[in-house]
Order: sequence, then C-alpha cells, then structure tokens
Amino acid sequence: MAKEYLGEFEELILTMVAALQEDAYGAAISEEIETRLKREVNLSAVHVTLYRLEDKGLIKSSMGGGTNERGGRRKRIFTITSAGMAMLRAMKDARIDLWKLVPQLKMTGI
Amino acid sequence: MNQRPPIWTLKFLSWFCPDHLYEEIVGDLVQKFNRDVKAIGEKRANRRLIWNTVCFFRPEIILRNRFSYSLINTIMLRNYFTIAFRNVLKNKVFSAINIFGLGIGLAACLLIFQFVSFELSYDTFNEKLDRTYRITNNRFQNGKLIQHGTIMYPTIGPVMAKDYPEIEMYTRLMPGGGLNVKVEEKVFKGENSHFVDEHFLSVFTFPLLAGERTSALKDRYTMVLTERTAIKYFGVLDKNYSSVIGKVVYWGLDTQPYKITGVCSNVPENSHIQFDALVSYATLFSADNPDADNSWTWSDMRHYLVLKPGVDYKSLESKFPDFSQRYFQGDKVSGSVEKFYLQPMRDAHLYSDYEYDIAKIASGQAVWAMVIVAAFVLLIAWINYINLTTSRALDRAKEVGLRKVMGALRSQLIKHFLFESILISLFAFLIALVIILLSQSSFNQMIDGNLSWWRVLSEMNTSTTMILITVMLAGVLLSGFYPAFVLSAYQPVTVLKGKFQRSSRGQFLRKALVVFQFTSSAALITGTLIVSKQLRFMNDADLGINIHNTLIVQAPERTAWDSTFIQRVESYKYELTKIEGVVSAATSWSLPGDRVGRSFGIRLADQPSESHFTMSNMGVDHNFFDTYGIKIIAGRKFLPSDHRIDFQEIESVILNINAVKLLGLDSAQDAIGRQIIWGSDKKKIFIVGVVNNFHQQSLKNPMEPMIFGPAYSTYSSTSIKLENADKEKTQRIIADVRMIFSKFFPDNAFDYSFMEDRYKRQYNDDNRFGKVISVFTILAIIISCLGLVGLSSYMAVQRTKEIGIRKVLGASLFSIVTLLSSSFIKLVLLATLLALPIAYVVAQNWLEGYAYKITPGALIFALPVILILLIAAFTMSFQVMRTAKTNPADTLKYE
Repeated sequence: MAKEYLGEFEELILTMVAALQEDAYGAAISEEIETRLKREVNLSAVHVTLYRLEDKGLIKSSMGGGTNERGGRRKRIFTITSAGMAMLRAMKDARIDLWKLVPQLKMTGI
Repeated sequence: MNQRPPIWTLKFLSWFCPDHLYEEIVGDLVQKFNRDVKAIGEKRANRRLIWNTVCFFRPEIILRNRFSYSLINTIMLRNYFTIAFRNVLKNKVFSAINIFGLGIGLAACLLIFQFVSFELSYDTFNEKLDRTYRITNNRFQNGKLIQHGTIMYPTIGPVMAKDYPEIEMYTRLMPGGGLNVKVEEKVFKGENSHFVDEHFLSVFTFPLLAGERTSALKDRYTMVLTERTAIKYFGVLDKNYSSVIGKVVYWGLDTQPYKITGVCSNVPENSHIQFDALVSYATLFSADNPDADNSWTWSDMRHYLVLKPGVDYKSLESKFPDFSQRYFQGDKVSGSVEKFYLQPMRDAHLYSDYEYDIAKIASGQAVWAMVIVAAFVLLIAWINYINLTTSRALDRAKEVGLRKVMGALRSQLIKHFLFESILISLFAFLIALVIILLSQSSFNQMIDGNLSWWRVLSEMNTSTTMILITVMLAGVLLSGFYPAFVLSAYQPVTVLKGKFQRSSRGQFLRKALVVFQFTSSAALITGTLIVSKQLRFMNDADLGINIHNTLIVQAPERTAWDSTFIQRVESYKYELTKIEGVVSAATSWSLPGDRVGRSFGIRLADQPSESHFTMSNMGVDHNFFDTYGIKIIAGRKFLPSDHRIDFQEIESVILNINAVKLLGLDSAQDAIGRQIIWGSDKKKIFIVGVVNNFHQQSLKNPMEPMIFGPAYSTYSSTSIKLENADKEKTQRIIADVRMIFSKFFPDNAFDYSFMEDRYKRQYNDDNRFGKVISVFTILAIIISCLGLVGLSSYMAVQRTKEIGIRKVLGASLFSIVTLLSSSFIKLVLLATLLALPIAYVVAQNWLEGYAYKITPGALIFALPVILILLIAAFTMSFQVMRTAKTNPADTLKYE
C-alpha cells in the first residue's frame, strides 16, 4: 500500500481524470461531477485538487486546444500516471477487502 | 454568440493568479460562464462567475506564485533553521547578549508604550470629544496676570450659548467636595461629588444605567450616583439599579432629603473628571435666592462647551474679547480684566497648567519624554544587534564564500541572513513578552496604575496598532538588512584565499553606532541625575513650615454652626493637647498643600478705591502658626479673643511678607496697625501681624501673597502636632484622638491622614516620572554595555595573535590593556561630550516647569562622563584582562 493516501475529494477527482481521459480538464470535471453525482462543486476546488494531485505525481498535464466557447483559451488536459492508476487500484482493493469484513446483513429481527 | 464576461473579474484574477495557470483557469471560467448564460440567464451567470473567481483567491493558488517559491520551499527553510540554530549555539555568550539585549529593549519599549497609550487615551470614551472644549479664563489686574484658571462666573456658559450660534450645548460644574451623607441610618463619608447642570450627562458620555438622562439632574435636591456608590450606599444586588431611583439621602445636617434620580456607570480611570456622585446644579440656589445664578462676580463654575460640527474653535475664541468687553467692561464688573479661551477637551489631561483645576492632570511633556526614552532604548538595542552581527562577519565570511562557490546567489544569501535575524528577533520578542509578564506588577506599582496588555490591546485603535506594527517590522527588517547586505557582499575569492580583512567603512559605521549608543546613555544619565536632584531638592526644601509629625483629622461637617461652636472646638482642642504625645492642635479652612481661594479686591484703607490687590486667603485659628512652626516676623499671632462667631465682626488679619510687599509697604513692621479693606462690605480690618512666607503649595508654584483671618468653621480640618513617636505610640494617640473626636462630634465619620503624606502627594507625578526615567536609563546603559562587552571581547579574540607577538616582544600588561581599550574609551568619551549639550538644553526645558528649582552645576554634567567611562571600562576590563594575560605560547603555537 502506498505511503500517501488520498482524501475523498482527491480520490473522486483522480477517478474522474482516469474516466474522462482526453477530455479531463477543470471545467469538464466539475460539470461531470455535477451531472453524474448531483453534487455542487466549486471550480476553484477542482483546480486546486488537480494541481495537488499533479504535485503528488498521480496525474500529469499538458496544454490542449482551445474552443470558441472558451474565448480561444487553451485547456489543460490532465492524464493519469501509472502511479495514479496504481494508487486508485490499491485504494479500490483496500475498500473491497474492508467491505468483505463487514458482516452481511441478515434481514431478521425487523 | 458568446456573452462577454465582465472584464474586471478577469483582471482581478490576473492580479493574483500565477501566469502559468492563468490561461486555463480563465478558459474554464469563461466556458462555465457561457454555459451558465444559456442555462440560467446572464444576470445569475455573472454573479456565479464573480463568485467562482473570488473562490480562486485561496492560498493554494496564490502560493503558486513566484514569491511563494521560497515560502513553500520547505527544504531551504529547514536548512535556514538548522544553520541559524547552529550559529546561535556556536557562540552562546554572543547570542545570549544579542537576544537578551534586544529582548530587554523591546520589553522596555512595550511597557512604556502601555503607559503612554493609556495617558493618551484620556477622555477618548466621550462621544463628543472632538467638539467639546473647556472655557479657561485669565484675569489681569494692573496689567499683571493674577489668575490663570478654569473657574468663572455662572453666567458665562448660558450667555455665550445665547450669543454664539456655533455653540450646540454648554454645561456647568462646581466641585461639591467630599460627600458626608446619612443613608438609612448609616453615615458615609468621602465620596467625591460635583454640582452639575442637566446638560452634563449629554455633554459627557457617562451612560446611565437607571434614570432619565436629560431630566435626571434638572430639579433641586436630586442626585445621580455611580454604580460603585449606589452599591456602597444601598447595597444594590444583581445590578438592579432602578431599585434605588427615588430613594433619598441626607447630606450633612441638611434636613432636605436628596432624591436619587439616576445611576451611571463608574467613571473610567481615563477620564479627566472624576466623581462618585453628581448633584443637580439647581441645588446650589435656594428658592428665595435664584439671582445668584446670574452673578458676574461669583466665580466657582467650570464650563464646558460642545460646538456644532465643523466649527473652528479658534474663530469662536477670537470673538471672546468682544464678549468680555460687553459684559465685564474692562475691570469694572469683577475687579479684574477677564480674558476667555477655549481648551480642547483632548488636551485637558496632558496639557493643563490651570489653577483651581478639577482635571486629573499629568505632564504631557513627561509622557513624550518617555516616548523618546523608549525610542532610544529600542534604537540602542537594535544598534547592538547590528554591531554584534556585523562584527562577527569574519566568522561567517568563509561560510558566505563557500556558499557562493557552490552557486548560491546573493539574493539567496540576503534572504538567508534576513531569515536569521527575523528568527532572533522572534526569540527576543518572546523574551520581551516574558519580561513584561514578570515585571508588569512592579511596573504598575511604579507608575501607580493598573495597566496590562489586554487592556491596552482592547482599547487600541487601528492607527496605533498600525504604528506599533510598522515600527516593530521596520526595526526588525532594518536591523536585519544591513548585516544581510554586508555579509552577502563578500567576494568568495578574497575570503577563501584567507587574506580577508574587515573593510574600514564597516569599522567606521560600527564606531558611529557605538558613539550614538553612548551619547544616548550619557544624555539619559544626565537627565536622570537632574530629575532626581530636583526631586530631592523639592523633598528636602525648607518649606518655611513644619509638616512633620502632623496628624490631620477631617472636618466634622455634620455639626451645627451655632453660638457654642467656638467654645466646643476650643474644648475639643484642649482635650486633644491633654493626650500624652500631642504638642498642639489647630484647625484651619485649608491645609498646607491645598490650593486655597483668592480674594481679588484687597487694598489698604488709605489707598484709592480703584486699586485692587489679589491675595490667597485662609481662615486659621489662633493655634495654627504655632502648630506649623510658621515664624511671626512682626506684630502678634491671633489670640482667642480675635475669633468671632459672626465673620462680619472680625477685626484682625495677618499677612505674609509677600502680601506686605504687594501692598507697597516698606517693611513688615510698617504694616502692623494699618487698616485694610477686605470683603464685599468694604469693612476696615486691622493688620495685627506679619508672618514669614511659606510654601503653601509644592515648589512648582511660587509663594503667593496671603491673607489670614481668624476663623473657625465646620469645614475646618484639625492639624495635630505630635512628638516624635514610634508606630505603636502613634496608633495609641490616634485611638485617643478618635475617642475625643466622637465625643465632641457624634454622628460624624472619623478620618485621618498624615500631613507629610498629603503634602508629598503633590509630587506624585514628578516622582513617577523620575522613577520611570531612572529605570529605563539603567536599562539603556545595560543594553549599551552588553553591546560593548560583545564588541570588545570579539575584538580581543581577533587580536589574540597580535597580542601574543607583542608579549613575546616584551610588551607589558599595562600597554596591552591600553591598546585594547583605548579605542573604545575614546569613542565613549566622544559620546559623552556630545551628550552634554543635548542633556543641558532638555534639562533646562524641563526645569522651566518649577517655580523653585536647582541650577545644574558642573558636577552634574561631569558625573555622567566619569560614570559612563567607569562603566564602560569596567565592562570591558574582564575580557581585556583575560586576553592580555593569556600565555603567548598558547596563542602562537599553531602558527
């Protein structure tokens, strides 16, 4: 298990980067979270988290193309690194291991 | 098409956002904005954009800027810490001197800051402070100033308010003195009261906890108590002050009940007006004599004006000469020419020199002197820091050289050294806080105050906070910058070749700083000597009156003034003198140390009726002059037969020498048997005696012409002269006195004090100043000496090899000691010489405030020079001697 661990929001963002692939940039991620999870997120929070994940080496970034909608400004596209992928996988496995320890609920006694 | 987002939000973003992130963040924001415009409309999209932009203003983004580079660069930071820490430990004595010196300086400075900010906070709680003025009044007779006071006629306030529309409100105040009241069968004494009119509570901010502000003091025989007094009189519980409204007290022997109409919060310590109770002004005028309030001759009232917003008080003041002419017609109405002025209430506490002043005053000069002292102490401490740090440059030079060789930039080195000095300043600050915590109570004792940081901080306004922070920061940075620049400037080549020598420019600066330190120290010593000599002079001066071993018993005010009174007092005094250990007893209207009243229209009976002379007057009994040992120059003292129960029948007075001179008589003998006119009924009275001048008040005031009348009164205190007695015996005498007092004056509270203490109270302010100045002078000297120790020991270490060689070649111990110390001694000498003229001018200025003062002699200026030289020589001697005594073999064997 990696020494570092991720917070809930960090994990969420990391997962989104992995899922969105070539389309993983700040505004898209926040929109995706809002539509899929019905969860209000602030753009700045997303950005800050992305930068932090980049500092940790879990994702890397490169400048992509601009669109008219953005006034021609370029996007910063994030891609997950193998370290990030390993971290994500490790976390998922750990969760599942822990989940298995939870006694299965029996529907008696209701 | 796309909407245009408001341009300023993006500008705001570009102001703090790191360049490399700017483009994509703006892109994301604009994209979101455009989608929002479609989804929820332009207005809400705009709002959301602004909010989103503002949200980016967070440390995680801002700290990604270039300047944040070093801040988040924790590796370098840790390195700085380690290096700084090692440096501190490497030279423990040095670092201790450095840190403690700075710590003491900071502590001293902060303590004085507490005191000064309290003194400057006087009356600031008043909401109308900026518009409130005191009227002050100068009176002239024969072209000479005879009174410089705050008291004047009851008509002044109302008439001015009627004549000048600039005035919004006025209020009048007359001190009522100590209360002596009966409340529900209990007698209370000593609460300080003022008679004030109904505007008083509107002019000043003393919030009422119960009662109606505008009407509380309107009616005759009404009273407003402070919280403390209400609790004392009525035992109010749980702050239920409205319960005392409508209750009554009886004042003195007055059968008229005084109704409590209000309770106000306690008077803040920093108010120039102090009171425990307010009595309505209307009480002063009985129903059958309302005309007294229209008097142009009765002068006991203090007046305050509130001007309308935006009125320039100077321009109002310039209209007062007309006012004076209109109502006083020169000296025709009141016997003197009246001039009126306005004093801003802000100045009442610190800049008042008025007679009959009720204000709690302190010397503004002294307060600013303390500020200057504090500034110097702090400067000296910072200079120490600079000196010690740069003098160690050689130690660090190799380190700097090596760092540069390894590729360190100069800016990085500056940062490094600056960081170290900030660290040391922080340490010093912590030490200063500890010192303050430890010394707060003794400091409070010294200044006779009740200060603390919590209080200062809670009362501080933003501007003082800013000044304090700026000064501290500037000090830390400036004292850090210079060493940082010097140290970082070394060329690695010269340093590492081993041929490095200190530049002479640095030497010069260091010397100049040492001179500055010792100039300040010497000036402070001279100042302290002069202040303490003046204080001693005042304490030891021959007052012309003997105030030692004198017990004072407060007047039995709750006693009827009737035909038997004189007889009763005589027997009371007789019984007092029967007590073993009592020499004599006397009663008098006022006591030495009190500001006594003045009479304005005195003249000799054979002088023309338009001549007026002003004398201070005092009613004394026939034992007074003996009891206080006042010398009779001519004629006789008062006899029991001089006393009359009706003052109108008094036929004899005694003058002092100054009064005789004022009347234009040649000698004391000449005055005896002459008649003078005194009082409104123009009655002729014989001068029966002349006494020597004595200091009725402190030596700050000149001895005035005085006139004494033979008089008893229920308001006269008793002075009881005792034989020299130990504490136990004195206590016994006091117990006996108390018994006799309550036998003669039942129903009166017994209250005693000692004359000497009362008299010396006049010097409280001066003594406090003297103490503070001496303590901080000592601190300044200690800090300077710490610096000198550090510097000289360092120099000595630098020259160990040179000294070794000199010794091998036959130099004597003496010549080496001279060699090592002469350069410093020369500097210190120069410093003291510079200090003397400065100290002289300042001291002269300070002594101006005293009517009787010392003339600073040569000794007082020579002493600091010698003292400073001795101290400097002494502090250096250990280090110098040690260096001079080292065995040359030890120092040279490595060569």
